[in-house]
Amino acid sequence: MHPAFSVLVFTVMSGAGYGLMTLMIIGHLAGLPQLLDSSVLLSGGILSLALITGGLLSSTLHLANPKNAWRSFSRFKTSWLSREAVFAVLFYPFALAYLAAVYLNGAEVTGLGLLSGIATAVLAMVTLFCTSMIYASLKTIRQWNSSLTPVNYIALGLMSGSLLLAAVQALVGDGASTSLTSLALTLVVLGATCKLIYLFWIGKPAGSTINTATGFTQASVRLLDQGHTSNGFLNNEFGYTVEANRLVRLRLLMLGLAFVVPFLLILAANTALLVIAAASAIAGLLVERWLFFAEARHVVRLFHGDQTV
Amino acid sequence: MKLGLVVDLDTCVGCHGCATACKQWNTSGTIGPLSDENPYGKDPNGAWLNRIRTYEVDDSPNSKTVNMPLSCMHCDNAACVTVCPTGASYKREEDGIVLVDQDKCMGCNLCSWACPYGARELDPGQGTMKKCTLCVDRIYDESLPEDERKPACVMTCPTKSRVFGDFDDPNSEVSQLVRDRAGKQLMPELGYNPVNTYLPPRNKPVVQTYEPKSVVATVKGWVNKVIAR
Amino acid sequence: MTSQATLKQADVIATESTAGKVQISDASLPQFEDRANQETKYTTCYMCACRCGIKVTVEDNKVRFIQGNPNHPINKGVLCAKGNSGIMKQYSPAKLSSPLLRKPGTERGAGEFEEISWEQALDMLEKRLSHIRATDPKKLAYFTGRDQMQALTGMWASQFGTINWAAHGGFCSVNMAAGGLYTMGHAFWEFGDPDWDNTKYFMMWGVAEDHSSNPIKLGLKKLKERGAKFVAINPVRTGYQAIADEWVAIRPGTDAVLALSMVHVLLKNQLVDDEFLIRYTNSPQLVVNTPGQKGDGLFYRGESGQPQVWDLVEERFMDANLPEISPALFGEFTMPDGTPVRTAMSIMLEKYLDDQYAPENAAKECGVAAEDIERMALEMAHVAFKETITIDVEWTDWAGRKQDKFIGRPVSMHAMRGISAHSNGFQTCRAIHLLQVLLGTIDCPGGHLAKPPFPKHIPPGIKPAKEMAPNTPLKSPPLGFPTCPEDLAIHEDGTPMRIDKAYSWDAPISCHGLMHMVISNAVKGDPYEIDTLMLFMANMAWNSSMNTAQTMDMLTQKKDDGEYKIPFIVCSDAFNSEMVAYSDLVLPDTTYLERYDTISMLDRPISEPHAACDSVRIPVIEPDRDVMSWQEVMVEMAGRLGFPAFSTPEGERKYESYKDFIINFEKEPGIGFLAGYRGKDGEKSLRGEPNPRQWDAYEENEGFFEMHLDMNQRYMRHANLDYLTLAKEAAWVGSTDQIVIELYSEKLQKFRLAGQGLYDGPQPTEEHHKERLVEYFDPLPFYYMPLKEQRIDRDEYPFHAVNQRPMFMYHSWDSQNAWLRQIMSQNYLFMNRIAAEREGIKDLSWVWVESHNGKIRVQVKLMEGTNEQTVWTWNAIAKRGGAWGLSDDANEATDGFLMNHLISELLPQKGDKVDRVTNSDPVTGQAAWYDLRVKITPAAEGETGTWPSFSALKPQPNAKPSPDMLSYTSHENVNLVRPMSDILTRGEK
Repeated sequence: MHPAFSVLVFTVMSGAGYGLMTLMIIGHLAGLPQLLDSSVLLSGGILSLALITGGLLSSTLHLANPKNAWRSFSRFKTSWLSREAVFAVLFYPFALAYLAAVYLNGAEVTGLGLLSGIATAVLAMVTLFCTSMIYASLKTIRQWNSSLTPVNYIALGLMSGSLLLAAVQALVGDGASTSLTSLALTLVVLGATCKLIYLFWIGKPAGSTINTATGFTQASVRLLDQGHTSNGFLNNEFGYTVEANRLVRLRLLMLGLAFVVPFLLILAANTALLVIAAASAIAGLLVERWLFFAEARHVVRLFHGDQTV
Repeated sequence: MKLGLVVDLDTCVGCHGCATACKQWNTSGTIGPLSDENPYGKDPNGAWLNRIRTYEVDDSPNSKTVNMPLSCMHCDNAACVTVCPTGASYKREEDGIVLVDQDKCMGCNLCSWACPYGARELDPGQGTMKKCTLCVDRIYDESLPEDERKPACVMTCPTKSRVFGDFDDPNSEVSQLVRDRAGKQLMPELGYNPVNTYLPPRNKPVVQTYEPKSVVATVKGWVNKVIAR
Repeated sequence: MTSQATLKQADVIATESTAGKVQISDASLPQFEDRANQETKYTTCYMCACRCGIKVTVEDNKVRFIQGNPNHPINKGVLCAKGNSGIMKQYSPAKLSSPLLRKPGTERGAGEFEEISWEQALDMLEKRLSHIRATDPKKLAYFTGRDQMQALTGMWASQFGTINWAAHGGFCSVNMAAGGLYTMGHAFWEFGDPDWDNTKYFMMWGVAEDHSSNPIKLGLKKLKERGAKFVAINPVRTGYQAIADEWVAIRPGTDAVLALSMVHVLLKNQLVDDEFLIRYTNSPQLVVNTPGQKGDGLFYRGESGQPQVWDLVEERFMDANLPEISPALFGEFTMPDGTPVRTAMSIMLEKYLDDQYAPENAAKECGVAAEDIERMALEMAHVAFKETITIDVEWTDWAGRKQDKFIGRPVSMHAMRGISAHSNGFQTCRAIHLLQVLLGTIDCPGGHLAKPPFPKHIPPGIKPAKEMAPNTPLKSPPLGFPTCPEDLAIHEDGTPMRIDKAYSWDAPISCHGLMHMVISNAVKGDPYEIDTLMLFMANMAWNSSMNTAQTMDMLTQKKDDGEYKIPFIVCSDAFNSEMVAYSDLVLPDTTYLERYDTISMLDRPISEPHAACDSVRIPVIEPDRDVMSWQEVMVEMAGRLGFPAFSTPEGERKYESYKDFIINFEKEPGIGFLAGYRGKDGEKSLRGEPNPRQWDAYEENEGFFEMHLDMNQRYMRHANLDYLTLAKEAAWVGSTDQIVIELYSEKLQKFRLAGQGLYDGPQPTEEHHKERLVEYFDPLPFYYMPLKEQRIDRDEYPFHAVNQRPMFMYHSWDSQNAWLRQIMSQNYLFMNRIAAEREGIKDLSWVWVESHNGKIRVQVKLMEGTNEQTVWTWNAIAKRGGAWGLSDDANEATDGFLMNHLISELLPQKGDKVDRVTNSDPVTGQAAWYDLRVKITPAAEGETGTWPSFSALKPQPNAKPSPDMLSYTSHENVNLVRPMSDILTRGEK
């Protein structure tokens, strides 16, 4: 699949934003001492909203006819994209209410803060889940059509959120906190595990072939002519191919930036290094998301000559 | 009613007539125009609703060339419709035709991702998704002569390799063809249950050889017969 | 999207759903089309040479839809990819919009023009032409490309008085036309068709798409439905071959070996239709057998002047043309005067039973397995003789005898390119006809059928003109059918009279001329210099020339005095083709949707086997430019120059326009360009006085005329008095005499005798001419290695290189078409995968392809369906940047390539007399552009892109810029709106 930059930015940023908001609220409501600090909460909340809003705005950039974007709320009944849109919008009043409660009442948990906080955290995770289901629900793309996809999206959203949370807390609050860095460490390990399982899983051949696509299942099938000599919409959208060596390099880069570097930097428990760890993770996840698209092989490719997907 | 096409791979010569007839009708049709980017420049790229691909099946010297036109299959389980967030994509309850309401599409491409058959193409000029309408603006048009109330591709096909009809009606020509010729769905494993069906190439006809008579090696072996002119 | 409507549930009704018919209605749908504002007009397609009937829907002078006319005899409602892309031709930005004159002081080829008015253009042309006509008419060379109006242009040239006229048949199909017309009086190509309705075994030799593109497709479908067998003989498997039941991957140029080896098998097994041979062919006729003496190989003629046969019942020699005789098919005899003779059939037996044509030997040459050759021959024999069909219809034979049925041997064939473009194509075509004749499959049910006005007597009775005088029309058309050396257009000293050297010893039976030699010869002044070259629809500065780069160079060569070697070039074209830049005066033509035109019985009509047909073009769109159809220019010039046939006895101009000319011109009393709706009231067909309302009648009848033949006139027309009587009345034939199929061609033998020095008449003096006549003018078809192959090192150039046009562009004049070029704007060199792997050549890699004439760099694509010794490409995809409205970096210019660069118009140079001889069939002059052999070497690392490349051409002064985005629509589209309630309430289903 063609990795559209706007979509990469959207999923990584909003994922981090939702992860950050969710973890922060849970920590706050659970009474984690380092989060009983309204400036930390407000900073984290604003950062989260900025990431989410930036992401959502970015996502509209890939629309070819954005004047109809408002219509995307209409098909909640069947469309994960519609659901994502609905939940993403629904998220805002609760998140703003929660932050307003913090702003007005400080870190102390109020009734409004509790209710809106729970709603915000739930909606954040639901929205993230919906985003992931946009991809996971597509039977046409084997690399996405799996429960590993929502698991990855949520795990990596929480991971990047936890790193941001630790960094914000360290920056705004009083230095790195063991509990938040431990959480981040755990989530980095969890995220890495999920990603490694995913990478292992997509390596196994399965699914449709050029034979099932053309109906000639008894013999080899080769494409002679795709019917047009310049690339068309389908080639541009689905024909993206990463060269094998480059793929290995990018995977290593992704694992390093998203998991190894943050893991090592977290261990140092230094504010500046935590900020770098969060930045590295975000950068790594951009590569991860790029690979998520680039390695996804749509079955239309079979009609264009690929033997398997 | 379940409208769709039967495509005969035994007779399709890959002439692209159906593809250009489709382009021609539909660029001024209900979902038109169908735009073309760089029409006279480098890498021309337009929106087409029907593309012809050519495959070689099996290895030399036993291989066979197969031309395969591909357009919307008007699937029973049309995931392109399910995923559409705006409601622009829909499947008509009346006849099963899958359409895109051009006024509502936001051009997110998700439906094209959900389609396994490459049947949807984003219009580079309009920013909306284009796909086969089964010429909904022909087949019901009572101002057309009855014989012309067919999709443009079916009307034009020089080898009559495309047949339009109702798959719900067991007596329709399409249903009969599917039965008689063991029609196949493409990528059935995905469970989309495409309506359009492909008829595989027929088996070769068997022709007897003339039992050799007395073999003559020279001119002298021939005997004149009396045959009046 | 102004007009909207919403859909309601359950408004759709399916009524009467029976097999094959779907009748449905949906009252909730909006009115998508404003029918009140639309008009439907009928005309004839011109996207290629197939000439299908089209029904064009027009609104506000814009084309809404072009569809096949369901009532039309050719296409019966269907239409190909080209026909469906007519809109993009009509709205091409490359359309020329006013006459252009090369800017004074600029160089030819630079493409600098200024607009002039039609009055200026026509005056200029008139002045130039009238001077040439009054001084030396042959100084005008007039050649036309893919036009379909040769009856008019040929007549125009005759009236002008120049023999230097031809169309593009010399590089297209003359081998097929001549091969058929010199054998059986009709031909493959446009003069005959397989009997699609009855044939049970169909063999297709070569053929990409061909002139009858839609009829072939319709026919193949019929075969497949009936379970008839379809065998395709072709080094490449695409298009039609893809659906063949058997693909025979023959080595290019060896089809004659295969055909004659099958003849060998048939003869060896005595499986021939002897009744057919005796009744309808010259095979029992007695041939003089006196090698080395005058008269050898000619028919022995009796006192009556008739060829003789040996009557088995009477036991004496008799005139061969008598009915009720019983000729011996075989035997050697001595005539009363002592002349040894033998039947033509005896010669055939001896020739084809030779081991050379035994399947095991043929297999080595043509690459088809011996057992396959044997099997196919026996399969055809089985179908012809054991699956015979009869049609019980009473008919009258040539001798006036009633016959009670037509006997059908349902084996048919079709052949075209491949066969036609090899230098052995004429004899190969004859070899295929021989195979058909031996099986008795000519013009019989299930066999190969002639299309009126064919068959004609062998050959048609027109001789090429050779005498010219100032201000005097020719005595006969420039092109005709020589039957002996006396008919050649040569001077006393044997030098050619024509600029293209047609009808010279180089190519005696070149009945379509040699358009591919005109520029080369004129520039060399060999045989002489010309003044003006006038071209219509001929892209000689690009894909229509062999040797493209050198041709461009020739067009700009100057003499010492600074004048161009071809002083003045006029071209008429509707589009800015590559040729436009090399012209001095450009006359913009109309498009096919803007003009009147005739597809005439005097030319290459659209007849079907069982119906005589012709058709017209009628404008459906008003031109938006200052253009004039070439037809109008022809009639205008003819009037201005005072051609006798275009003037009244008083010397006044006779026809005011092309339409007027078509209505009122009579070739002979009652015979005109259009055969339909003749007579004062339009009631007469084929022959009748002019009908002033004839154009209206065609318009009312959907643009065509179709006269079905009666059942008794439909078969065996070479010997069918019922048919021949009609044909004579219609002036298709000169007499009702039987058309005797000439398996043995005495006409060829006369040329051979001239080569042997045994002919009382013109004889060549040059040694190589003598050798060519002796070698290639065999009165019986035979195989010889293509000439170019004979003059190169075949081991050095191991691959045959051929090309074909894709179906969606075959014979199409505009591959710049915005839709069609999306299907293909780059061509590859296709190669067999196994052969490529052997050579270490990878898929999509760049390679050098080198011939004796030059080299090109191209990208390779591997495939299974190609003969292992063959590489091929789609031709004429490459275009020059800037031409045809294309951008300078269009794929056609950067990645497309022409194989033409590798082909020379002359035979490979060896420093002998043959160096000057055209690279063409030695009999017909057909350009041998399929004879190419090449070697292939991988390009160096980093060497990519096609080579050679050419600078882009300039846009014309009045050209509209080509758009970056095209969104064609003829009206505001009426969207079908989905109601919001449905969007909000529908679930998964």
